Amino acid sequence: MSRALIEARGLCKRFGHVEALAGLDLTLNAGECLALLGPNGAGKSTLLRIIAGLARPSDGSLSIDGAAAHERTARRRIGYIGHASLLYPELSARENLIFAGRLYEVADPHGRADQLLSEEGLGDVGQRPVSGFSRGMAQRIAIARGLVHEPDVLLLDEPFTGLDRRAARRLENRLDALRQTGHTLILVTHDVASAARLAQHVLVLSEGRTVHESRGPLEPEALERIYVDALEDAP
Amino acid sequence: MLRGSGAVLAVMLVTSSWLVIQAPLDAMQGVIQKILYVHVPCAFASYAGFFLTALGSGLYLWKREDRYDRLALAGAEVGVVFCTLTLVSGPIWAKGTWGQWWVWDPRLTVTLLLWFLYLAYLLLRSFTEGSERTARFAAVYGLMGSLAIPLNYYAIELFGGSAMHPDNLERGSLGQGMGLPFLMSVLTGLVAVWYLVVARLDLENLRLQSAARLGGYPRT
Amino acid sequence: MRVAAAIFWKDLLIEWRSRDRVVAMLLFSLLTVMVFHFSLPGGATAKTQAMAPGLLWIAYVFSALFGLGRSFSLELENDALSGLALAPTDRGWILLGKVSANLVILGVAQAVTALVFALVFDLTLLPVAPAFAGIVLLGSLGLCTVGTFFSAIAVQTRFREVMLPLLLLPVLWPLLLAAVRATSALLAGEEVPSEAIQLLIVSDATYLIVSFLSFDFILDD
Repeated sequence: MSRALIEARGLCKRFGHVEALAGLDLTLNAGECLALLGPNGAGKSTLLRIIAGLARPSDGSLSIDGAAAHERTARRRIGYIGHASLLYPELSARENLIFAGRLYEVADPHGRADQLLSEEGLGDVGQRPVSGFSRGMAQRIAIARGLVHEPDVLLLDEPFTGLDRRAARRLENRLDALRQTGHTLILVTHDVASAARLAQHVLVLSEGRTVHESRGPLEPEALERIYVDALEDAP
Repeated sequence: MLRGSGAVLAVMLVTSSWLVIQAPLDAMQGVIQKILYVHVPCAFASYAGFFLTALGSGLYLWKREDRYDRLALAGAEVGVVFCTLTLVSGPIWAKGTWGQWWVWDPRLTVTLLLWFLYLAYLLLRSFTEGSERTARFAAVYGLMGSLAIPLNYYAIELFGGSAMHPDNLERGSLGQGMGLPFLMSVLTGLVAVWYLVVARLDLENLRLQSAARLGGYPRT
Repeated sequence: MRVAAAIFWKDLLIEWRSRDRVVAMLLFSLLTVMVFHFSLPGGATAKTQAMAPGLLWIAYVFSALFGLGRSFSLELENDALSGLALAPTDRGWILLGKVSANLVILGVAQAVTALVFALVFDLTLLPVAPAFAGIVLLGSLGLCTVGTFFSAIAVQTRFREVMLPLLLLPVLWPLLLAAVRATSALLAGEEVPSEAIQLLIVSDATYLIVSFLSFDFILDD
């Protein structure tokens, strides 16, 4: 049996007296797509940030392919797309991608930036400052930024928020393509329909704890029912 | 621990006060010289407080246990009080003996800087949100501050103003009969720090317990 | 190391696009010089010339406070700071990248201020210009190191504009003292005391090493 890619045991995170995570266990295998659902404040973003190495747990352990999450080897394998775009508005899309490439010490940052821009179909707007971009376009650059170093694990925090239907569909196809090429994805979302289409592993969180976990493909209605039931039963 | 240290402090306060009153008057300065028995212990107490803050800060960053952060905070709160007393009692003595309220002497300036460091430390704690982040930032500043002290002292030694502050910490530099009261008052000062820090830590523990109970989260 | 270089160029590029920091710092220093000049009676006399080094460094510190605060506040937009924290490198390099960019930006403002100061206070700057630049560089290195480090802290607290000077000035004092003494001696045509240079180097090295090693604690959450 191969070792799980991401392994969390008893993860706790306290902010003062608030327990954002209260003892969470997670086992994620390579190539899986995990959907993290739950009400606001359930601890989903906190969990994602800890996996990304942006925050340290107060208690418990987390390993990414055997290494602790905040170590450099782990950070190199992870791409993080958060609520905010992580982009500098004063710089162009291309400059932002080149900078991100340099942060990850990518071999050819300029070439990689051009490649990502053309993959996204944004080659012609690459020179424009990001401050002028719409939410959908900025989101696409943010995702390109997350992929600049070719990570095998991708963490996405509510990527569908604020996207119109066409942009959401495009994003879903993008994520599906990534899943099929063997990337491991963790998706925090309120969009149950997209989650059902993309994920085979679902975790529902409430108040820092797991209230439901399931593996296997799901119909959107089934997932919706599970989600609602789990939240009603939650403490 | 609180009652024990309180009892010791009470005894020492009484003993020191009696000894100080009994102590002979200084030939040159007269009765105002007795401020020495308050001023010097306060100075030592403020250094002790800062030492505890630096110690707590270092231990917190190493072990990440909240109790070390509480120690650092207690050390700072107690230390700043004694530092203020030092800065108040000093000029009173100075005006009485040198005729000036203040000079830019190394020891005075370093004590003033220590006071500013304390204040900055405490203000940093008030203005940071989130107790874990507060503890982390304060600990880092506490350590940076403790580096600044020796650098400051050296700088002012080299370039500062006149060295008017009595530099006599050798034996026999005090007059006859002043050694014992002096020693006792210094020890009293340090015991006072001990007592106050323990009291502050107790207070903090009570505060956390009641907050946890009100918030409904289990106490870890 | 390359990460530091990337951040260095990125900060300078952003500054070049808007030029807001360097212009603000420059205006601030010049205003300070003017205020000093007006408030000192009799123009450029021996007395005011003796005070000039201290006043110059006050102008430098004030304008640095102005510009250093912005160093990390520009990272708050779109949570770019998290973007930096994600980089798989020792986080101290992030600090060094920003310190070097700040040195350059501050340096530009400092150079112009020095010229204006020399004019207003009738100082003989040109013959000692290289040594002067050296002293200012040593002093500013410490100033920017601690200033950038505390700016990263201040930007994550309330009242960040107040927090930075509060944290910075007590720690900066020895550096300032040494810098002013060295500058004084230089401009008066005397030999610069070697203890001053020693103190500058020791302070700079201490603060650089400690800041580099502790920067991880500032970005961790």
